Amino acid sequence: MKSPFNFLRVSANDQRIENLKELSLFKRLTARELRELDELLHDRLYQKDEVIFDEGDSGLGLFIVRSGRVKIVSSHAALQRLAPEIGPGDYFGELALFEESQRTARAVALEPTQVLALFRTEFFSLLERDRGIGVKILFELSRTVVWRSRKLLANQPHLPTV
Amino acid sequence: MRNEPELGVLTWGVIVVVTCLILYLFERVLWLVVPGLLALVGYYCLQPLVQALVRAGLKHRTAGKVVTGLLFLVTALGVILLLSLATTRAVGWKTVTAHYVQGGLDFLGKTEALLAEKLPLMERSALVRGTPTNLHAAADRFVEKYLGRLLLQMIYWLPALLLVPYLTYFILQDGNRFKKYVIRSVPNAFFEKTLLLFDRVDHSLQNFLVGLVKLTFLDTACLGLGLWLLGISHPLLLGLIAAVLAWVPYVGSLGGCVLVVMVAATDFPNELVTIYGCILLFICVRLLDDFVFLPLTVGRSLRLHPLLSVLMLFLGAAVAGPAGLLLVLPVLGVVAVITETLGQILTDERLRKRYRHARQLQRTMAEVG
Repeated sequence: MKSPFNFLRVSANDQRIENLKELSLFKRLTARELRELDELLHDRLYQKDEVIFDEGDSGLGLFIVRSGRVKIVSSHAALQRLAPEIGPGDYFGELALFEESQRTARAVALEPTQVLALFRTEFFSLLERDRGIGVKILFELSRTVVWRSRKLLANQPHLPTV
Repeated sequence: MRNEPELGVLTWGVIVVVTCLILYLFERVLWLVVPGLLALVGYYCLQPLVQALVRAGLKHRTAGKVVTGLLFLVTALGVILLLSLATTRAVGWKTVTAHYVQGGLDFLGKTEALLAEKLPLMERSALVRGTPTNLHAAADRFVEKYLGRLLLQMIYWLPALLLVPYLTYFILQDGNRFKKYVIRSVPNAFFEKTLLLFDRVDHSLQNFLVGLVKLTFLDTACLGLGLWLLGISHPLLLGLIAAVLAWVPYVGSLGGCVLVVMVAATDFPNELVTIYGCILLFICVRLLDDFVFLPLTVGRSLRLHPLLSVLMLFLGAAVAGPAGLLLVLPVLGVVAVITETLGQILTDERLRKRYRHARQLQRTMAEVG
């Protein structure tokens, strides 16, 4: 049985840091930077068919899949055509890190799924005190946003691909 | 950017009632609330140092230990330095203190004489007859009337104040771990909103402390300028000491005023107008502080309307006395944030539906399993 005072125990988290390093979003971070970032990451576990966030929700953070699969469903035709499935190491909800806008899609766990959540205001506080980490994460995020935008535009018949 | 609707009158009513209840409870356990508050101040002051050490490559727990170890070392060195200074300069300090206290007593004596002369009826009153005129009489009277009570208060507060470094250490070490632990126990549906709640509470407390620093700066500037115009020596230093003492409502302000009056009475023994000017300055700054500066600095930092801040100060004082005055604004700020966010969570049908859905999935899983 888990002790109710687990938070008081000093954990040997070197393995966790190694695991974080394997995630695409954090691959450029050093062990020291990952340790600092890990203070801000929140572990969540979702059951099969459980809604992680819904379309229209106020977006507050980004989710990174550690294990399991997540289905993205949207009422927007272009997004729905992409209908991406997110697997281990990938992330979703990244636009919430840039602005507090409504989610444009629904994220549902397709199987028991473990995710890491990075909350926008905590990420901003990290950006303020250590720009180096922020730049590395934002660079990876930008690459993903660009890649997803290209993919989205490629599926639009009336818009040129940029 | 926040697009949430403004809080309604009923919600504000609930916030005010809950704030009063909390103040009432806090007043009963002040021995725990004061060290807790001071530990929070210590946490917010030391947190950047811990983060700097983490950036330098230390693990978070190690950085916490290093910073609190340094704090302990600096405090111990400070105490040793103060003690050694006190032993070598005790005679000098005693003479200076006695000089200023005597100056204050002389001023009281002159005021008594003036009152008796201008208002003959006052001659027999306890107010006029009660003040000792020399230092020895004053010291005897202090020992007889107040020393016992003062020592008892010190014994009462000493263990509580010893808690401050201990609590600061644990907030620095395990504050974030505890926060994550609490958040982990929140159902998935409410997870993001709970994070938002923690963030807002954290900001409220930080804003309160920033507001308090601004208030101290304003008080120091006003008092320093006023004392300089009155020609008192070391106006800025005296203003700063009085502004810091004013953090403790009533008693602190009174202490600051007495300190300045003693200095003025000693510097200008024959200029009663200057000394009365100091008292008037203190009353004016006190009023400015309570009705203008406090609502505009601390109140605004907590996003509270100035009128509400002033009304809550009165209410806080009525419910919990001086402690209520000190605690009412931060408590109101935190309660407002919690009520606002909880209101959003509880009235959000989507979140509640998602929570019910997750519970249903859990039950199904348990039945299948």
